[in-house]
Amino acid sequence: MKLINRLTLWYLAITTFVLLASGLIVFYRVQAEIENEVKTRLKRDIDHAAQLITDGLSIDSVRGNQLDVQELDFNASLIPLQVTDSMGFYSLYRRALDRKFTVASSYKIQGKHYYISAYNFIAEPDEILEGIIASLAVTLLILLLFVAVTSRQMSKQILSNFNRTLKTIQGFNLKQNNRIKLANTRTYEFKELNQFLEKMTNKALDDYRSLKEFSENASHELQTPLAIIRGKLELLLETRIDEKQASLIEGIQNAVQKLSAVNQSLILLTKLENQEYPVKEKLNFSRFVKDEIESFRELIEMKSLSLTTNLDPEVYLDLNPVLADILFTNLLSNAIRHNSMNGSIDVSMSSSGLSVKNTGDAPKVDTHELFKRFKKDKQSSESTGLGLAIVKQICDLNNFKVEYEYVRGNHELNIHFLPKK
Amino acid sequence: MKVLIVEDNIDLARNIQEFLQHEGYVCELSASCNEAQEKLISFQYDCVVLDLMLPDGSGLTLLENIKAQKLKCNVLITSAKNSLDDKIDGLDKGADDYLTKPFHLSELNARLKAIYRRNALGGDNSVRFNEIVLNTDSLEASVNDTHLDLTKKEFDLLLYFLINKNRILTRQSLAEHLWGDYTDNLANFDFVYQHVKNLRKKIAAAHGRDYIGTVYGIGYKFDTSLS
Repeated sequence: MKLINRLTLWYLAITTFVLLASGLIVFYRVQAEIENEVKTRLKRDIDHAAQLITDGLSIDSVRGNQLDVQELDFNASLIPLQVTDSMGFYSLYRRALDRKFTVASSYKIQGKHYYISAYNFIAEPDEILEGIIASLAVTLLILLLFVAVTSRQMSKQILSNFNRTLKTIQGFNLKQNNRIKLANTRTYEFKELNQFLEKMTNKALDDYRSLKEFSENASHELQTPLAIIRGKLELLLETRIDEKQASLIEGIQNAVQKLSAVNQSLILLTKLENQEYPVKEKLNFSRFVKDEIESFRELIEMKSLSLTTNLDPEVYLDLNPVLADILFTNLLSNAIRHNSMNGSIDVSMSSSGLSVKNTGDAPKVDTHELFKRFKKDKQSSESTGLGLAIVKQICDLNNFKVEYEYVRGNHELNIHFLPKK
Repeated sequence: MKVLIVEDNIDLARNIQEFLQHEGYVCELSASCNEAQEKLISFQYDCVVLDLMLPDGSGLTLLENIKAQKLKCNVLITSAKNSLDDKIDGLDKGADDYLTKPFHLSELNARLKAIYRRNALGGDNSVRFNEIVLNTDSLEASVNDTHLDLTKKEFDLLLYFLINKNRILTRQSLAEHLWGDYTDNLANFDFVYQHVKNLRKKIAAAHGRDYIGTVYGIGYKFDTSLS
């Protein structure tokens, strides 16, 4: 949910609650005020009537609209001020009932006893409530309209800096080595956020660069000693040695070979990350794949594998030829190596993608895991565990989508050629 | 053959020197561009093994100088940088071959001999040993004048053996020679075994002597003292 929507909802909830509460208060206050007012006015009326009688007016002339005077027995005790709240017809013709407020009292004036009562019709509570609800509803409606109209604009105004920061951060990429520049803002919280983000991303960039430099240097520095060891071992083989020594040397050679393969793969991955493989021209990937398959045909036959191909002859890609070579070689050699005896390989390609399928044992780990560096199905195997990581990296770099699935005894590696961003 | 090894790492240079001396080559070492430049002016070499990353500059500059001065030596570039641009650049500037570090010394030997064969006066394209004759242009092989029907890989293998006579060639180095970079992912030496077996069978069928023997189960050797 967007921040502004959340704020608006909260605001509306609070407003509704406050309006309800204030409605209740208004209702009771208005009611009390009206009652009080009417009571006071009626009391003044009957007092005034009593005064008129005292002044000598006849009761008939005092009696009038909504005021009644009656003579009581003089000996009857005085009736104190009475207030009655009842319903009555305010109009005899229309026979409409309304709330009737009556105030009555008796007075003893000049040796006579008068009972004077006055009444008035006032609004009923539900009528008052109706009015209050109606006016509050209108208020709420106006508020709603106002909030709806202004909130977008307000959020755009207030959050504009925040949104800009968000956009900048989303575009931030460690690998591109671009420091982020955030716009100035006067809002304290956003200023603090921007400062923190700038500091953090700069630190991440510095750390990433030094880590990369370290691994690059380490890999390159390893190459030379490895080459020296290899050479010395070859020379050692030429000397007078017995069988035991020969097999020891072979063991060392194999280990050195593997070390150097891992190292070269790591260097390659670093180079891929550094984007050192520019695309200069469209590559005829169809011809490329065909040639590569030819160079592997012998190895495929030696393992008694049957190969079926279905290649669109007109696939052109924006792909560096070195990467194309590494990509396809990795896929095909994996398909050969992880195959079963007398198994099969199927290579098919169209303008939308490349698919390499091969028979083989079911993988013991999740196939997606195998794209990670040094992740192997069999930890003891001869492979470096970097082949698929390199494939993934090349695909990511070229905006290809790569998937690996194991379906019905077949390893399926699918690459979708998506258009470049 | 007289070879100048331009390599700043002394251990690596000594390895190459020692290996090539067994072939009867005369090898000299230079650890920098300047040193190599002086040697090239003063002496004549058949071949220069040139490292690209040198302390006082790029080997490519030295290569340009060699070509500018029209020196009659072949150049084989060795570089740790496995970059296509370097390779294309080097070959464009007139290098005869390019080898990525780390390499097998027997591979370097084979490459040097191939360059030498190609460029030597008269362009001798045949390699022979006793009854075995290989023509490196037509890729034809014969034993006792009997034509051998070899595949491309078997021919390469036999040539590799002949060039590295009396040396132990490990399965690793044979595999790398035959399949290049692919072996990284295909560490399966059965392929090598198959090829060697077929090759020996074909030579035997043509009544050639079996010079190729296994050595301690780690590799093979073309033994000239055999049989």
